[in-house]
Amino acid sequence: MIIQDLLLGALVALLCGLDRVAVLQIMISRPLVAAPLTGMLLGQPLIGLQVGIMMELLWLARLPVGAAIPPDDTQVSIAATVLAVTVARMFTISGPEPALFCLLVTLPLGKLGQYFDHRARRFNDHLPELAELAIERGSLRGAERQHLKGLLSFSVAALSTYIVILGGGLLIIPFLWPLIEEGLVYSSSWIQLALPLIGVAVILGTINVSRSITLFCASFGMAFLLMWLV
Amino acid sequence: MAFSWKTRLHIWLRFLILQASWNFERHQGLGFFYALLPGLRKLYSGSQLLAVARRYVGYFNTHPYLTPLVAGAVLKLEEKQAAGDTPAVDIDDFKEIVAAPYAAIGDALFWGGLRPLAAGVSLFFAVKGFLWSSLVFLLLFNLVPFWFRTVFFARGYRQGMNSVEFIQQNSLPDWAIHTKEAAVVVLGGLSAFMVFSHLGRQSLATWLGLLTLLPMVLLAYLARKGVSTLWMIYIIALIIFMAGLFWADVIQWLEM
Repeated sequence: MIIQDLLLGALVALLCGLDRVAVLQIMISRPLVAAPLTGMLLGQPLIGLQVGIMMELLWLARLPVGAAIPPDDTQVSIAATVLAVTVARMFTISGPEPALFCLLVTLPLGKLGQYFDHRARRFNDHLPELAELAIERGSLRGAERQHLKGLLSFSVAALSTYIVILGGGLLIIPFLWPLIEEGLVYSSSWIQLALPLIGVAVILGTINVSRSITLFCASFGMAFLLMWLV
Repeated sequence: MAFSWKTRLHIWLRFLILQASWNFERHQGLGFFYALLPGLRKLYSGSQLLAVARRYVGYFNTHPYLTPLVAGAVLKLEEKQAAGDTPAVDIDDFKEIVAAPYAAIGDALFWGGLRPLAAGVSLFFAVKGFLWSSLVFLLLFNLVPFWFRTVFFARGYRQGMNSVEFIQQNSLPDWAIHTKEAAVVVLGGLSAFMVFSHLGRQSLATWLGLLTLLPMVLLAYLARKGVSTLWMIYIIALIIFMAGLFWADVIQWLEM
Protein backbone atom coordinates (compact mmCIF):
# COMPACT_ATOMS: atom_id res chain seq x y z
CA MET A 1 0.00 0.00 0.00
CA ILE A 2 2.78 2.42 0.98
CA ILE A 3 4.77 1.53 -2.16
CA GLN A 4 1.68 2.20 -4.27
CA ASP A 5 1.23 5.61 -2.57
CA LEU A 6 4.87 6.51 -3.16
CA LEU A 7 4.64 5.54 -6.83
CA LEU A 8 1.42 7.51 -7.37
CA GLY A 9 3.14 10.47 -5.71
CA ALA A 10 6.09 10.02 -8.09
CA LEU A 11 3.73 10.14 -11.08
CA VAL A 12 2.21 13.42 -9.88
CA ALA A 13 5.71 14.71 -9.04
CA LEU A 14 6.82 14.05 -12.62
CA LEU A 15 3.78 15.64 -14.29
CA CYS A 16 3.63 18.66 -12.03
CA GLY A 17 7.42 19.02 -11.98
CA LEU A 18 7.49 19.33 -15.77
CA ASP A 19 4.73 21.95 -15.63
CA ARG A 20 6.94 24.22 -13.48
CA VAL A 21 9.22 25.16 -16.40
CA ALA A 22 9.45 22.70 -19.24
CA VAL A 23 5.91 21.82 -20.36
CA LEU A 24 2.57 23.69 -20.59
CA GLN A 25 3.00 25.95 -17.53
CA ILE A 26 -0.71 25.80 -16.83
CA MET A 27 0.08 25.88 -13.10
CA ILE A 28 -0.83 22.32 -12.13
CA SER A 29 2.53 22.66 -10.36
CA ARG A 30 1.08 25.12 -7.81
CA PRO A 31 0.65 23.57 -4.34
CA LEU A 32 -3.07 24.37 -4.37
CA VAL A 33 -3.43 22.02 -7.35
CA ALA A 34 -0.59 19.51 -6.93
CA ALA A 35 -1.28 18.64 -3.28
CA PRO A 36 -5.08 18.05 -3.59
CA LEU A 37 -4.42 16.04 -6.78
CA THR A 38 -1.96 13.84 -4.88
CA GLY A 39 -4.37 13.55 -1.96
CA MET A 40 -7.20 12.60 -4.31
CA LEU A 41 -5.13 9.85 -5.96
CA LEU A 42 -4.21 8.50 -2.52
CA GLY A 43 -7.84 8.58 -1.37
CA GLN A 44 -7.34 11.51 1.06
CA PRO A 45 -8.22 14.69 -0.86
CA LEU A 46 -8.75 16.75 2.31
CA ILE A 47 -5.18 16.12 3.50
CA GLY A 48 -3.96 17.36 0.12
CA LEU A 49 -6.19 20.42 0.37
CA GLN A 50 -4.83 21.22 3.85
CA VAL A 51 -1.26 21.01 2.56
CA GLY A 52 -2.18 23.11 -0.49
CA ILE A 53 -3.75 25.87 1.63
CA MET A 54 -0.76 26.05 3.96
CA MET A 55 1.82 25.92 1.17
CA GLU A 56 0.32 27.93 -1.70
CA LEU A 57 1.32 31.42 -0.62
CA LEU A 58 4.59 30.70 1.17
CA TRP A 59 6.99 30.91 -1.78
CA LEU A 60 4.64 32.60 -4.25
CA ALA A 61 6.65 35.82 -3.96
CA ARG A 62 9.78 34.06 -5.25
CA LEU A 63 9.34 34.70 -8.96
CA PRO A 64 10.87 32.46 -11.66
CA VAL A 65 12.31 35.49 -13.41
CA GLY A 66 15.14 34.90 -15.90
CA ALA A 67 17.69 32.53 -14.40
CA ALA A 68 16.26 32.78 -10.85
CA ILE A 69 15.09 29.42 -9.50
CA PRO A 70 12.59 29.47 -6.61
CA PRO A 71 12.52 26.66 -3.99
CA ASP A 72 10.54 23.67 -5.21
CA ASP A 73 7.15 24.19 -3.53
CA THR A 74 5.60 21.68 -5.96
CA GLN A 75 7.63 18.70 -4.76
CA VAL A 76 7.36 19.80 -1.11
CA SER A 77 3.56 19.83 -1.41
CA ILE A 78 3.39 16.45 -3.15
CA ALA A 79 5.89 14.76 -0.81
CA ALA A 80 4.26 16.32 2.29
CA THR A 81 0.85 15.00 1.18
CA VAL A 82 2.21 11.49 0.53
CA LEU A 83 3.99 11.53 3.90
CA ALA A 84 0.93 12.86 5.74
CA VAL A 85 -1.25 10.09 4.27
CA THR A 86 1.41 7.51 5.17
CA VAL A 87 1.84 8.84 8.74
CA ALA A 88 -1.94 8.95 9.26
CA ARG A 89 -2.18 5.28 8.16
CA MET A 90 0.90 4.18 10.11
CA PHE A 91 -0.24 5.67 13.43
CA THR A 92 -3.99 5.34 12.70
CA ILE A 93 -4.69 9.01 13.37
CA SER A 94 -6.92 11.62 11.78
CA GLY A 95 -7.00 15.41 11.91
CA PRO A 96 -4.79 18.11 10.43
CA GLU A 97 -1.72 17.58 12.66
CA PRO A 98 0.11 15.00 10.47
CA ALA A 99 -0.25 17.23 7.40
CA LEU A 100 1.12 20.23 9.29
CA PHE A 101 4.01 18.30 10.78
CA CYS A 102 4.98 16.67 7.46
CA LEU A 103 4.92 20.07 5.77
CA LEU A 104 7.13 21.64 8.46
CA VAL A 105 9.64 18.80 8.13
CA THR A 106 9.74 18.84 4.32
CA LEU A 107 9.79 22.63 3.83
CA PRO A 108 13.57 23.15 4.13
CA LEU A 109 14.13 20.23 1.75
CA GLY A 110 12.39 22.31 -0.95
CA LYS A 111 15.68 24.21 -1.26
CA LEU A 112 17.18 21.02 -2.72
CA GLY A 113 14.83 21.46 -5.66
CA GLN A 114 16.81 24.57 -6.57
CA TYR A 115 19.97 22.45 -6.73
CA PHE A 116 18.44 19.76 -8.94
CA ASP A 117 16.75 22.33 -11.19
CA HIS A 118 20.06 24.16 -11.51
CA ARG A 119 21.79 20.90 -12.49
CA ALA A 120 19.11 20.18 -15.11
CA ARG A 121 19.56 23.63 -16.68
CA ARG A 122 23.35 23.25 -16.60
CA PHE A 123 22.99 19.85 -18.30
CA ASN A 124 20.84 21.52 -20.97
CA ASP A 125 23.61 24.05 -21.66
CA HIS A 126 25.24 21.71 -24.18
CA LEU A 127 22.01 20.94 -26.08
CA PRO A 128 22.10 24.03 -28.38
CA GLU A 129 25.68 23.12 -29.36
CA LEU A 130 24.58 19.58 -30.21
CA ALA A 131 21.67 21.04 -32.16
CA GLU A 132 24.13 23.22 -34.11
CA LEU A 133 26.23 20.14 -34.92
CA ALA A 134 23.08 18.36 -36.12
CA ILE A 135 22.25 21.34 -38.37
CA GLU A 136 25.81 21.28 -39.76
CA ARG A 137 25.22 17.63 -40.64
CA GLY A 138 22.00 18.69 -42.36
CA SER A 139 19.76 16.94 -39.83
CA LEU A 140 16.99 19.24 -38.58
CA ARG A 141 15.28 16.26 -36.97
CA GLY A 142 18.48 15.72 -34.96
CA ALA A 143 18.35 19.35 -33.83
CA GLU A 144 14.71 18.94 -32.77
CA ARG A 145 15.65 15.84 -30.77
CA GLN A 146 18.18 17.88 -28.79
CA HIS A 147 15.37 20.18 -27.65
CA LEU A 148 13.24 17.22 -26.55
CA LYS A 149 16.20 15.77 -24.62
CA GLY A 150 15.80 18.68 -22.24
CA LEU A 151 12.56 17.11 -21.03
CA LEU A 152 14.59 14.20 -19.68
CA SER A 153 16.81 16.40 -17.53
CA PHE A 154 13.82 18.29 -16.09
CA SER A 155 12.06 14.97 -15.41
CA VAL A 156 15.12 13.63 -13.59
CA ALA A 157 15.35 16.87 -11.57
CA ALA A 158 11.67 16.70 -10.55
CA LEU A 159 11.86 13.03 -9.55
CA SER A 160 15.17 13.48 -7.72
CA THR A 161 13.72 16.34 -5.66
CA TYR A 162 10.64 14.26 -4.85
CA ILE A 163 12.70 11.21 -3.86
CA VAL A 164 15.08 13.21 -1.66
CA ILE A 165 12.25 15.09 0.12
CA LEU A 166 10.28 11.88 0.56
CA GLY A 167 13.35 9.94 1.73
CA GLY A 168 14.26 12.67 4.20
CA GLY A 169 10.69 12.77 5.48
CA LEU A 170 10.45 8.99 5.83
CA LEU A 171 13.69 8.96 7.84
CA ILE A 172 12.72 11.80 10.18
CA ILE A 173 8.94 11.84 10.58
CA PRO A 174 8.18 8.36 12.02
CA PHE A 175 10.75 8.99 14.79
CA LEU A 176 9.79 12.57 15.61
CA TRP A 177 6.01 12.19 15.30
CA PRO A 178 5.40 10.26 18.57
CA LEU A 179 7.48 12.87 20.44
CA ILE A 180 5.66 15.89 19.06
CA GLU A 181 2.14 14.56 18.47
CA GLU A 182 0.66 15.49 21.85
CA GLY A 183 2.20 18.96 22.02
CA LEU A 184 1.12 19.82 18.49
CA VAL A 185 -2.56 19.36 19.33
CA TYR A 186 -2.55 22.62 21.35
CA SER A 187 -1.02 24.74 18.61
CA SER A 188 -1.68 23.11 15.22
CA SER A 189 -4.71 25.20 14.28
CA TRP A 190 -2.82 28.44 15.04
CA ILE A 191 0.25 27.35 13.07
CA GLN A 192 -2.03 26.37 10.19
CA LEU A 193 -3.46 29.89 10.24
CA ALA A 194 0.00 31.46 10.54
CA LEU A 195 1.52 29.79 7.46
CA PRO A 196 -0.72 31.41 4.80
CA LEU A 197 -0.54 34.72 6.68
CA ILE A 198 3.28 34.61 6.57
CA GLY A 199 2.97 33.94 2.83
CA VAL A 200 0.70 36.98 2.41
CA ALA A 201 3.12 39.15 4.43
CA VAL A 202 6.06 38.04 2.27
CA ILE A 203 4.08 38.83 -0.90
CA LEU A 204 3.23 42.26 0.54
CA GLY A 205 6.86 42.93 1.32
CA THR A 206 8.04 42.06 -2.17
CA ILE A 207 5.17 42.80 -4.57
CA ASN A 208 6.53 46.17 -5.71
CA VAL A 209 3.25 48.10 -5.57
CA SER A 210 3.29 51.59 -4.11
CA ARG A 211 1.14 51.81 -0.98
CA SER A 212 0.75 48.03 -0.87
CA ILE A 213 0.60 48.04 2.95
CA THR A 214 -2.07 50.78 2.94
CA LEU A 215 -4.14 48.92 0.37
CA PHE A 216 -3.77 45.66 2.30
CA CYS A 217 -4.70 47.20 5.65
CA ALA A 218 -7.73 48.96 4.13
CA SER A 219 -8.91 45.76 2.49
CA PHE A 220 -8.29 43.70 5.63
CA GLY A 221 -10.07 46.23 7.84
CA MET A 222 -13.06 46.60 5.51
CA ALA A 223 -13.51 42.85 5.09
CA PHE A 224 -13.13 42.31 8.83
CA LEU A 225 -15.65 44.98 9.73
CA LEU A 226 -18.12 43.68 7.15
CA MET A 227 -17.91 40.15 8.56
CA TRP A 228 -18.18 41.50 12.08
CA LEU A 229 -21.28 43.54 11.29
CA VAL A 230 -23.12 41.02 9.10
CA MET B 1 2.91 32.57 -49.23
CA ALA B 2 0.75 32.75 -46.10
CA PHE B 3 0.94 29.94 -43.57
CA SER B 4 -2.03 27.58 -43.46
CA TRP B 5 -3.98 27.25 -40.22
CA LYS B 6 -2.54 23.74 -39.84
CA THR B 7 1.03 25.06 -39.85
CA ARG B 8 0.09 27.80 -37.39
CA LEU B 9 -1.61 25.28 -35.11
CA HIS B 10 1.47 23.05 -35.31
CA ILE B 11 3.66 25.98 -34.26
CA TRP B 12 1.22 26.99 -31.49
CA LEU B 13 1.25 23.47 -30.05
CA ARG B 14 5.03 23.49 -30.02
CA PHE B 15 4.97 26.59 -27.80
CA LEU B 16 3.56 24.35 -25.07
CA ILE B 17 7.03 22.79 -24.74
CA LEU B 18 8.95 25.99 -25.48
CA GLN B 19 11.10 25.70 -22.34
CA ALA B 20 11.86 21.95 -22.51
CA SER B 21 15.54 22.68 -23.12
CA TRP B 22 15.81 25.88 -21.03
CA ASN B 23 19.45 26.48 -20.20
CA PHE B 24 21.62 29.19 -18.66
CA GLU B 25 23.58 30.02 -21.82
CA ARG B 26 20.88 30.48 -24.45
CA HIS B 27 17.72 30.31 -22.33
CA GLN B 28 14.74 29.61 -24.66
CA GLY B 29 16.80 29.82 -27.88
CA LEU B 30 16.56 26.15 -28.84
CA GLY B 31 12.87 26.03 -27.88
CA PHE B 32 12.09 29.07 -30.03
CA PHE B 33 13.84 27.39 -32.96
CA TYR B 34 11.92 24.15 -32.30
CA ALA B 35 8.58 25.98 -32.28
CA LEU B 36 9.23 27.97 -35.46
CA LEU B 37 10.68 25.08 -37.47
CA PRO B 38 7.39 23.92 -39.07
CA GLY B 39 6.96 27.47 -40.42
CA LEU B 40 10.56 27.79 -41.58
CA ARG B 41 10.24 24.47 -43.41
CA LYS B 42 7.35 25.91 -45.43
CA LEU B 43 9.39 28.97 -46.43
CA TYR B 44 12.81 27.56 -47.13
CA SER B 45 14.41 24.33 -48.24
CA GLY B 46 17.84 22.79 -48.70
CA SER B 47 20.91 24.78 -47.71
CA GLN B 48 18.84 27.99 -47.32
CA LEU B 49 16.73 26.29 -44.62
CA LEU B 50 19.85 25.11 -42.81
CA ALA B 51 21.33 28.62 -42.92
CA VAL B 52 18.13 30.13 -41.46
CA ALA B 53 17.93 27.34 -38.84
CA ARG B 54 21.50 28.13 -37.71
CA ARG B 55 20.43 31.73 -37.02
CA TYR B 56 17.66 30.64 -34.67
CA VAL B 57 19.61 28.34 -32.34
CA GLY B 58 21.20 31.32 -30.58
CA TYR B 59 20.14 33.18 -27.44
CA PHE B 60 16.50 34.08 -26.95
CA ASN B 61 14.53 34.80 -23.81
CA THR B 62 11.20 36.39 -23.09
CA HIS B 63 8.12 35.54 -21.04
CA PRO B 64 6.77 32.13 -22.17
CA TYR B 65 3.21 33.48 -22.54
CA LEU B 66 4.38 36.36 -24.74
CA THR B 67 6.69 34.28 -26.93
CA PRO B 68 3.84 33.52 -29.40
CA LEU B 69 3.45 37.26 -30.02
CA VAL B 70 7.15 37.60 -30.89
CA ALA B 71 7.01 34.38 -32.93
CA GLY B 72 3.97 35.53 -34.91
CA ALA B 73 5.73 38.77 -35.85
CA VAL B 74 8.96 36.92 -36.68
CA LEU B 75 7.08 34.49 -38.93
CA LYS B 76 5.51 37.40 -40.80
CA LEU B 77 8.96 38.98 -41.28
CA GLU B 78 10.43 35.66 -42.45
CA GLU B 79 7.53 35.27 -44.84
CA LYS B 80 8.23 38.71 -46.32
CA GLN B 81 11.94 38.06 -46.48
CA ALA B 82 11.40 34.73 -48.25
CA ALA B 83 9.19 36.56 -50.77
CA GLY B 84 12.08 38.95 -51.54
CA ASP B 85 11.09 41.96 -49.37
CA THR B 86 13.71 43.43 -47.05
CA PRO B 87 12.25 44.15 -43.60
CA ALA B 88 12.87 47.63 -42.12
CA VAL B 89 14.58 46.01 -39.11
CA ASP B 90 16.73 42.89 -39.19
CA ILE B 91 14.75 39.89 -37.85
CA ASP B 92 17.40 39.00 -35.25
CA ASP B 93 17.53 42.61 -34.09
CA PHE B 94 13.73 42.71 -33.80
CA LYS B 95 13.78 39.59 -31.59
CA GLU B 96 16.45 41.11 -29.41
CA ILE B 97 14.71 44.48 -29.11
CA VAL B 98 11.32 43.14 -28.01
CA ALA B 99 12.39 40.12 -25.90
CA ALA B 100 13.56 41.94 -22.75
CA PRO B 101 10.66 44.43 -22.40
CA TYR B 102 8.11 41.68 -23.10
CA ALA B 103 9.79 39.51 -20.46
CA ALA B 104 9.53 42.32 -17.91
CA ILE B 105 5.85 42.95 -18.77
CA GLY B 106 5.01 39.21 -18.64
CA ASP B 107 6.81 38.62 -15.34
CA ALA B 108 5.03 41.55 -13.69
CA LEU B 109 1.62 40.72 -15.16
CA PHE B 110 1.50 36.93 -14.88
CA TRP B 111 3.90 35.92 -12.10
CA GLY B 112 3.68 39.08 -9.99
CA GLY B 113 0.00 39.95 -10.44
CA LEU B 114 -2.28 37.31 -11.90
CA ARG B 115 -0.86 34.33 -10.00
CA PRO B 116 -1.31 35.83 -6.49
CA LEU B 117 -4.71 37.18 -7.54
CA ALA B 118 -5.95 33.77 -8.75
CA ALA B 119 -4.40 32.06 -5.71
CA GLY B 120 -6.07 34.54 -3.35
CA VAL B 121 -9.52 34.05 -4.87
CA SER B 122 -9.20 30.23 -4.97
CA LEU B 123 -8.00 30.08 -1.38
CA PHE B 124 -11.35 31.55 -0.25
CA PHE B 125 -12.96 28.37 -1.63
CA ALA B 126 -10.19 26.11 -0.34
CA VAL B 127 -10.45 27.44 3.22
CA LYS B 128 -14.18 26.63 3.13
CA GLY B 129 -13.19 23.03 2.29
CA PHE B 130 -14.32 23.26 -1.34
CA LEU B 131 -12.36 20.48 -3.10
CA TRP B 132 -12.86 22.05 -6.53
CA SER B 133 -10.86 25.13 -5.49
CA SER B 134 -7.91 23.76 -7.49
CA LEU B 135 -10.07 23.84 -10.58
CA VAL B 136 -11.19 27.40 -9.75
CA PHE B 137 -7.51 28.39 -9.56
CA LEU B 138 -6.66 26.72 -12.87
CA LEU B 139 -9.61 28.34 -14.65
CA LEU B 140 -9.00 31.80 -13.19
CA PHE B 141 -5.31 31.76 -13.93
CA ASN B 142 -5.30 30.14 -17.36
CA LEU B 143 -7.96 32.25 -19.06
CA VAL B 144 -5.63 35.19 -19.60
CA PRO B 145 -2.43 33.30 -20.56
CA PHE B 146 -4.32 31.14 -23.08
CA TRP B 147 -5.89 34.25 -24.53
CA PHE B 148 -2.42 35.80 -24.81
CA ARG B 149 -0.93 32.65 -26.29
CA THR B 150 -3.65 32.31 -28.92
CA VAL B 151 -4.82 35.81 -29.80
CA PHE B 152 -1.39 37.43 -29.55
CA PHE B 153 0.13 34.77 -31.81
CA ALA B 154 -2.51 35.52 -34.45
CA ARG B 155 -2.08 39.27 -33.98
CA GLY B 156 1.72 39.06 -34.15
CA TYR B 157 1.43 37.16 -37.41
CA ARG B 158 -1.15 39.58 -38.80
CA GLN B 159 0.64 42.79 -37.82
CA GLY B 160 4.29 41.78 -37.98
CA MET B 161 6.49 44.46 -36.49
CA ASN B 162 3.45 46.70 -35.83
CA SER B 163 2.38 44.30 -33.07
CA VAL B 164 4.73 46.30 -30.81
CA GLU B 165 2.38 49.26 -31.15
CA PHE B 166 -0.51 47.04 -30.10
CA ILE B 167 1.30 46.29 -26.82
CA GLN B 168 1.98 50.00 -26.29
CA GLN B 169 -1.61 51.05 -27.07
CA ASN B 170 -3.04 48.54 -24.63
CA SER B 171 -0.61 49.73 -21.92
CA LEU B 172 0.12 46.25 -20.59
CA PRO B 173 2.58 47.54 -17.95
CA ASP B 174 -0.33 49.52 -16.43
CA TRP B 175 -2.44 46.37 -16.43
CA ALA B 176 0.36 44.59 -14.56
CA ILE B 177 0.23 47.23 -11.83
CA HIS B 178 -3.60 47.10 -11.62
CA THR B 179 -3.49 43.30 -11.35
CA LYS B 180 -0.95 43.50 -8.55
CA GLU B 181 -3.11 46.05 -6.71
CA ALA B 182 -6.14 43.79 -7.12
CA ALA B 183 -4.06 40.89 -5.75
CA VAL B 184 -3.14 42.93 -2.65
CA VAL B 185 -6.83 43.79 -2.06
CA VAL B 186 -7.90 40.14 -2.48
CA LEU B 187 -5.13 38.93 -0.17
CA GLY B 188 -6.25 41.49 2.42
CA GLY B 189 -9.80 40.16 2.25
CA LEU B 190 -8.56 36.56 2.36
CA SER B 191 -6.40 37.20 5.44
CA ALA B 192 -9.32 38.88 7.22
CA PHE B 193 -11.61 35.98 6.30
CA MET B 194 -9.18 33.36 7.60
CA VAL B 195 -8.50 35.21 10.86
CA PHE B 196 -12.20 35.95 11.46
CA SER B 197 -13.26 32.33 10.79
CA HIS B 198 -10.48 30.98 12.99
CA LEU B 199 -11.34 33.19 15.96
CA GLY B 200 -14.98 32.22 15.56
CA ARG B 201 -14.09 28.51 15.65
CA GLN B 202 -11.95 29.07 18.78
CA SER B 203 -14.84 30.99 20.45
CA LEU B 204 -12.61 34.03 20.94
CA ALA B 205 -13.63 37.69 20.59
CA THR B 206 -13.44 38.35 16.87
CA TRP B 207 -12.35 42.01 17.23
CA LEU B 208 -8.98 40.61 18.39
CA GLY B 209 -8.36 39.72 14.75
CA LEU B 210 -7.69 43.35 13.89
CA LEU B 211 -4.49 43.03 15.93
CA THR B 212 -3.22 40.57 13.28
CA LEU B 213 -2.36 43.56 11.11
CA LEU B 214 0.57 44.51 13.37
CA PRO B 215 2.62 41.30 13.04
CA MET B 216 1.73 41.07 9.35
CA VAL B 217 3.07 44.55 8.62
CA LEU B 218 6.18 43.71 10.65
CA LEU B 219 6.68 40.48 8.68
CA ALA B 220 6.19 42.35 5.39
CA TYR B 221 8.87 44.81 6.51
CA LEU B 222 11.22 41.94 7.40
CA ALA B 223 10.55 40.27 4.03
CA ARG B 224 11.37 43.55 2.29
CA LYS B 225 14.63 43.64 4.26
CA GLY B 226 15.45 40.19 2.86
CA VAL B 227 14.74 37.99 5.91
CA SER B 228 14.26 34.39 4.77
CA THR B 229 10.69 33.06 4.62
CA LEU B 230 11.89 29.77 6.12
CA TRP B 231 13.29 31.52 9.19
CA MET B 232 10.03 33.40 9.69
CA ILE B 233 8.05 30.15 9.41
CA TYR B 234 10.15 28.23 11.92
CA ILE B 235 10.49 31.03 14.45
CA ILE B 236 6.73 31.73 14.40
CA ALA B 237 5.82 28.03 14.44
CA LEU B 238 8.14 27.50 17.43
CA ILE B 239 6.69 30.50 19.29
CA ILE B 240 3.12 29.25 18.72
CA PHE B 241 4.10 25.69 19.68
CA MET B 242 5.72 26.82 22.94
CA ALA B 243 2.80 29.16 23.71
CA GLY B 244 0.40 26.25 23.13
CA LEU B 245 2.30 24.05 25.59
CA PHE B 246 2.49 26.87 28.14
CA TRP B 247 -1.23 27.60 27.81
CA ALA B 248 -2.09 23.91 28.21
CA ASP B 249 0.00 23.81 31.41
CA VAL B 250 -1.70 26.96 32.76
CA ILE B 251 -5.17 25.49 32.15
CA GLN B 252 -4.14 22.20 33.77
CA TRP B 253 -2.79 24.11 36.81
CA LEU B 254 -5.99 26.17 37.12
CA GLU B 255 -8.11 23.01 37.02
CA MET B 256 -6.17 21.40 39.87
